[in-house]
Amino acid sequence: MASVSRPLLAGGGYWAVLSRCGGRGAAYSSVPAVSSRGGKQREASTRRTSRTSQFIKSHAPPRTERMAVDQDWSSVYPTAAAFKPASVPLPIRMGYPVKRGVPLPKEGNLELIKIPNFLHLTPPAIKKHCAALKDFCTEWPSALDSDEKCEKHFPIEIETVDYVSAGTSIRNPKARVVTLRVKLSHLNLDDHAKKKLIKLVGERYCKDTDTLTVTTDRCPLRRQNYDYGIHLLTVLYHESWKTEMWESEKTEEDMEEYIWENSCSQKSALDTLLLIKASENVSNVTKEELLSSEVVKSYRNSVVALKNEGETENNMSQYKESVKKLLNIQALP
Amino acid sequence: MLRSVKGLVCHTPKLDHGHALHTTAKDWLSSTVSQDVRILAERSRAIFRTSENDPANHAEHHEGCHYSIPLQEVKAVFPHGLPSPFQQQIKTFNEACLMVRKPALELFAYLKSSSFAHPAIRYVIYGEKGTGKTMTLCHVVHYCARQGWLVLHIPDAHLWVKNCRELMQSSYNKERLDQPLQASFWLKNFKTTNERFLKEIKTQQKYAWGKRESTEEGRPLGEVVEQGLARVRNASDAVGVVLKEIKQQCHLGSFRLLVAVDGVNALWGKTTLRKEDKSPVSPEELTLVYNLRKMVRNDWNGGAIVTTLSQTGSLFKPSSAYLPHELLGKEGFDALDPFVPIRVSNYSPQEFESCYHYYLDRKWLQHEKARTAEGRDELRFLSGANPRQLQRLAGPL
Repeated sequence: MASVSRPLLAGGGYWAVLSRCGGRGAAYSSVPAVSSRGGKQREASTRRTSRTSQFIKSHAPPRTERMAVDQDWSSVYPTAAAFKPASVPLPIRMGYPVKRGVPLPKEGNLELIKIPNFLHLTPPAIKKHCAALKDFCTEWPSALDSDEKCEKHFPIEIETVDYVSAGTSIRNPKARVVTLRVKLSHLNLDDHAKKKLIKLVGERYCKDTDTLTVTTDRCPLRRQNYDYGIHLLTVLYHESWKTEMWESEKTEEDMEEYIWENSCSQKSALDTLLLIKASENVSNVTKEELLSSEVVKSYRNSVVALKNEGETENNMSQYKESVKKLLNIQALP
Repeated sequence: MLRSVKGLVCHTPKLDHGHALHTTAKDWLSSTVSQDVRILAERSRAIFRTSENDPANHAEHHEGCHYSIPLQEVKAVFPHGLPSPFQQQIKTFNEACLMVRKPALELFAYLKSSSFAHPAIRYVIYGEKGTGKTMTLCHVVHYCARQGWLVLHIPDAHLWVKNCRELMQSSYNKERLDQPLQASFWLKNFKTTNERFLKEIKTQQKYAWGKRESTEEGRPLGEVVEQGLARVRNASDAVGVVLKEIKQQCHLGSFRLLVAVDGVNALWGKTTLRKEDKSPVSPEELTLVYNLRKMVRNDWNGGAIVTTLSQTGSLFKPSSAYLPHELLGKEGFDALDPFVPIRVSNYSPQEFESCYHYYLDRKWLQHEKARTAEGRDELRFLSGANPRQLQRLAGPL
C-alpha cells in the first residue's frame, strides 16, 4: 500500500512530511486514502451486519490530513488548550526510547498532553491580540523613545497585574499585588544613608542592578497597596538619613566592606615601622608621617583589595610586593 | 649489561654518604668502564643531583637538583620534623635527598639579606595540598641549623589542638589548660636539636615549679627542660618558660632564632577538645598555643619566623582551601599581618624530570614501562606534576 502511494505523494507535493509518521492512517494522500477509507467503510459495513460489530466505531482519519499549509492557526488553537495530536500537524515524538528504538509517537502520548504548550501564542495570534487591544490603548509619548529617558523622568516603576477569566465574577484576589521598583542611584542618599537603607531592606535590594524592589499585598485593594508602597519608600528614605545613638556601637563584623583606618592591620604595620625606625635610631618620626608615606599607602591598598575582593594570584603578589617594600626586604643578596 | 653497570655505579653513594659524589664516581668509572657509559652516567647525575650539601651555597643553577643530608645530621636536626612518607623513603633509600626548589632559594635570599636589628619578619609558605610546603620548611630549617641558629621547630601545630587525652588545668593560670604529653614530647625533641644552646642560655629570673622545686636565676636553660621532662605535670609551663627566655635574650645577639611552625593555621582555628563540662575549648585557652602565639608576633628582633599553612590535619576547613585568608581566618590573618607570602606550586617540567630520574636512579620505579618516554608522560599526566601524587604513584610501581 505504501509503495503504491509514494509516487502519488511526490506528484501531489502535499503530505511529504506526514509520510514519515508512524501510526495508521496518517501517511496516505487523498486518493488511496479515499480508497482505503472506502475500503474500510466497506469492511465496516460488512462487519456491522454481524452482531458483535455494533460496538466497533469506524475510525475517521485525523483532522491534520485536511489542514492546508497556509491555514489560520489561531482558529485551530484560539485559547490555551491541551495538546491534541489529531489537531497538530507536526510529527512530534516524546518519551524515553527502548533499546535501539525511537521515542514514542504523538498519538496517545500522555507526556505531550501533560506539559504546557504555547500553540495558542504564535506570532500571528499575538499580532491579532495587539490589533484587538489597540482600540483600548493610548499612544506612547514620542518624547520617551529610549530607556534612559524613561528612567530619568520616571525613576519609580509600578507593576500591577490584571486578571480576566471566563466566570461569574470579575474579581481576582491576585489583582491587589503592587510591585514598586526604584534604583538607589536616583535617590539622594549619602554613604551612611545608603548603607543603612540596604541594611533595613535586606533581601529586597539587588546589588548587581542597584534596584530596590518592594512588593505589597497586605491591603485588600490595589490603590491601598500602592499608597502603602509609596509610604514605605518615604519612611525608608527619611529613616536612613537619621543617625541613631546606638549606631555608634557598630562593630567590625557589621561593616559591609573592609576599612583600613583604625584596623589591626594599620596598628601592626605602624608598630612594625616604629620598631624598625627605633632600631635604626631615627627618632621623631610621627605616625602621620608614616601613614602618608608611599610604602604604607601601597600596603594599605593591597590589604584593602585583598579583604574586599577576596584572594587572587594578582592580589597576593601585590600584597607580597607591598610588604617587601614596607619591611625593606631585598630579594637579591 | 648497561643496567647492571648502572646498578654498580649507584652503590657508591652509600659508602660515603653523598659527600664528594662526583669525584669518587669519576675515579671508579675511569678505571673500569667504557667511554659512553661514563658519559651517560655523568649526564644523568648532573641532571638531578648536586654535590653541594650546604644549603647556604645553593644557588639558582642548583634548582631542580637533589642534595643529600648526612644521616646523623638528619637525626640531630630533624628528630620530629620530616613528614612520615619522607622518613620511610629515607629508610628505604638509606639516604635523605631533598630537592632544591625556587621558594626555598627565595627564602634563603631574604634571610641572608634581612637585618637582624629589625623586628623579625614573618614568612608564610602556602600552596595546594602536596606541593612541598613542609619539605621547603625542612630545607630552611636545615639551612639555619647549618648556619648555627637556634631552631624552634614545631612540626605540626595541629597536633596540639586535637586528639589530646589528658587536659589538665594549668597551675600557673586557672583559666588555661595544660597538655602534658604533647609538651613533654616536644621538649624531648627540642633538647636533641639544640643541646649546645641549652647550656649557653641562662635563665633571667627565678621560676618556682611547686612548693619545693624551683629554678634559680642564672641556671642554664637545660635545667628547665630537664624539669619539664622529669615532672610531666609542669611540661607545658616549662615550654612557656623556654619560649619566654629565648625571646627575651634573642635581641642580645648571641644567637639567631628561627621559629619554624608547620600548620600555623591551627593556632587560630577551632579545636576538637572539650573541657570536663563538655564545653568546647578555644585555642587561646591552651597554654602551648598561647605561648606559641606570643612567639609568632613580631615584637622581637634577631631572627625570623617561617611558617607553613596546612590544610591536611586542619579542623573544620574544606579540603580545597589553600589561600591564607581561607585557612587562617580573619583572626589569624590580622595576627600575622604584615607577612611575606611565599607560594609553593607543583613541579615545573625540569623539577619533574629531576624527581623522575631520582626515582629511576634509586631503582624505585621497577615497572619496565616506567623507563620509557610514554611511561614518563603517563606519570606526569596522572600525578599532575604534584609531588605527593607522584610519590604515591611511584610506590606500587
